[in-house]
Amino acid sequence: MAEPLISIENLAVSFPARGKAGERNQAVRDVNLAVYPGQTLAVVGESGSGKSVSAMSILQLIPTPPGRYDQGRILWRGGSGTADAAGQHAQGVQNDAVDLLTLNDKAMRTIRGNQIAMIFQEPMTSLNPVYTLGEQIMEAVLLHRKVSRSAARDIAASALRDVGIAAPEQRLKEYPHQLSGGMRQRIMIAMALACQPRLLLADEPTTALDVTIQAQILELLRTLQREKDMGILLITHDLGVVAENADVVAVMFAGRVVEFANVRELFNRPRHPYTRGLLRSMPVLGRRAQRLDTVMDGATIPDDFPEKFVVKPHDPDPSPATPYGGEDARLHEIEPGHWVLCTPKNPQDHSAPAFPRLDYRRAQA
Amino acid sequence: MTKAAPPTESSAAPRSLIGAAALRLLGGWGARAGLSWIGFLVLTAVFAPVVASSHPWVWKVGGQVSSPWLRHLTVTDAVLLLSFGVAVTLLCFRRVAAGRRIAAWAVLTGCLTAAAAAGSAVDLWRERAAGGVPMVFLMVAVLLAAVIGFMALIAVSSAASWRGKAVVGFAGLLLAGGLAAAPIDPPVSVVYSSYREATAAGAVDWQVLAPLAYSPGDYQRDAMSATGIDARLKKPSLAHPLGTDESGADVLSRMIHATRIALAIGLIATGIAVVIGIVVGGLMGYFAGVVDLLGMRLVEVFSAIPVIFLLIMIVAFYGRNLYLMMVILGATGWVGYATFIRAEFLKLRKMDYVQAAHACGVPLWSILFRHMLPNGVTPVLVLASFGIASAILTESTLSFLGLGLVEEPSWGQLLNQARRAGGQWGLTLFPGLAIFLTVFAYNLVGEAMRDALDPKAAGK
Repeated sequence: MAEPLISIENLAVSFPARGKAGERNQAVRDVNLAVYPGQTLAVVGESGSGKSVSAMSILQLIPTPPGRYDQGRILWRGGSGTADAAGQHAQGVQNDAVDLLTLNDKAMRTIRGNQIAMIFQEPMTSLNPVYTLGEQIMEAVLLHRKVSRSAARDIAASALRDVGIAAPEQRLKEYPHQLSGGMRQRIMIAMALACQPRLLLADEPTTALDVTIQAQILELLRTLQREKDMGILLITHDLGVVAENADVVAVMFAGRVVEFANVRELFNRPRHPYTRGLLRSMPVLGRRAQRLDTVMDGATIPDDFPEKFVVKPHDPDPSPATPYGGEDARLHEIEPGHWVLCTPKNPQDHSAPAFPRLDYRRAQA
Repeated sequence: MTKAAPPTESSAAPRSLIGAAALRLLGGWGARAGLSWIGFLVLTAVFAPVVASSHPWVWKVGGQVSSPWLRHLTVTDAVLLLSFGVAVTLLCFRRVAAGRRIAAWAVLTGCLTAAAAAGSAVDLWRERAAGGVPMVFLMVAVLLAAVIGFMALIAVSSAASWRGKAVVGFAGLLLAGGLAAAPIDPPVSVVYSSYREATAAGAVDWQVLAPLAYSPGDYQRDAMSATGIDARLKKPSLAHPLGTDESGADVLSRMIHATRIALAIGLIATGIAVVIGIVVGGLMGYFAGVVDLLGMRLVEVFSAIPVIFLLIMIVAFYGRNLYLMMVILGATGWVGYATFIRAEFLKLRKMDYVQAAHACGVPLWSILFRHMLPNGVTPVLVLASFGIASAILTESTLSFLGLGLVEEPSWGQLLNQARRAGGQWGLTLFPGLAIFLTVFAYNLVGEAMRDALDPKAAGK
């Protein structure tokens, strides 16, 4: 079985609790995720469920302090030169995988933007207003590739052409305020892709855009992914976007991954109460209702849940002290290719839950 | 590669925010008036030795045509005049982008200054062999030459194209070499009366004098013995448009030469303060937390220092020294800039484009100074123009108190003399007016800049 491009294993990140000295809030705990080349992993969840923290941890973008990486590994297999760059951190290298959390800032800079790129939620504020688009894209290119300025300009122009911008040579000389939101998000994508990263972290890339532009941007990402065999970690809370784009879906709640399965399986047979509630709460076009369903209305434990495992009912307001789903709960593969946060009935089965990974890609339409 | 842009595009050429702000700035009458006055002062400072000098430009004595004026030109005069010449020359290259021309001017001026500093280091070395020059001055001169030369070198090596590198580098070498090779060696002691004696004796066949034929240090001590007329504290007349001071020197000439000190103290003291303020404030704002806490305490300590008293004390211990004064003013005046930059950086560090730059693998110094600083520097620019005004005022205050420079001309020092001037009202009015107008001009520019850079006003 092929190795994933990146696998996050048992990641836990905490921040100091406000107003309480010494106490820490666990932003994420026991997060396990994996992305394969050419695959889109969608991470869905409410605000504050730890989606962004997980993604930002990949690039070590969590400011420490106040944040702290408590435990876990982030194994990266996308770089050819990373093992050398991390040579001084011998403990971080194994099976040509690098543990990104052990890299120092200098080694990390060779990864950021180069092997792993990120696009942010707000296209309106993600571009520096005092520089032209060309200067901003070229800076990224010049940082990571040994090319001349004129070659960098050509790369920037072709990156703009890739994301479907007309007259790229002209656009390079323009300033961010001269563009609309959708155009700016295209620029952000062009900037992220100019260095041909192996993995793209897209943190709610379409939230600020209207539906038509949203569809265009997502279509664009799919096309570019196919061309470059790039992994995408798509963070969103829009289940429509997930259904349209994702290969594999991870549902997060209260800092934990509660369910991990391929998109078809997850939408057709959600197993975890929270996921079930989440899917149920989506309003259906054309159905009349006095009152829309909330997550709690649908958060039921399925009748056919495997008897070997126990899943706790959904608790919408878990206390920060105890992990959501219980102290012993881990992601268990309750059915082939379907992981759910639960506890085995028999303590012997508790030994070592496998890290969830699915080398699955949806059929191309 | 052909770059034939369609004509419609070039007419609507995108303008940077800075360019747009500069245009808004120049739109107001206040900024125009202030900048005109400052520009006039700059011209005066550059051409002071040309306009007001006792040394005849050219004369013929005993069949020999020579230029005493050229012989008495100092290194500072030469650097200023040459750098002005470079600026005018570069203005003519309209096809090169403005930013590149400004960069080229900075590099060339840097080469000139480095050459001048190296030259004065050599002089100091010679004088030291004779004894009497403290080692510190020599070291400072060498350091200055090295730093400025290195900066010019870096600037040349990062120029856009190979052709640009070659042209600017060659011109810089030529200028610096020319300055170093030029026989600039003005006599240490100047006897101004010799010119008048030569003229009176009829030894001069013909001469071309400067428009104002008095150097600032020409005290006309010979006038008493030659004509029996005391030249001191004369009221304004045709020969001395603003009269003479209590030593017999021409007030207008002293005022013209004093513009150099007024401009230099404002710009250098504020420059030092801005650099310190940006670095300290930037680090405080970006790292926040403990760094910010400690930095703010440092700011509080420094803002408690009474600058005038400190300066008076320094003068008492180390004597009157203009450069020391600039450094003290700079080293105590940075707190305002630091707090402004801190506030801006605290806001900017959370901005998405800073996060995006970080996620792009941009190194820290580039995030701080390339991505954040241009977005947060505007309040500092406004404050700096007020800071320049207040530095000029501080120097005038010190000179007025009699703690400033003695030999070199300064507006405040002329005002100090005015207390004892009796009927010579020119000594009170004109230096006072010059200080007032200059401070006013910088304040006007600062006000206009604040309006022009206000993002809320940008839409109107």
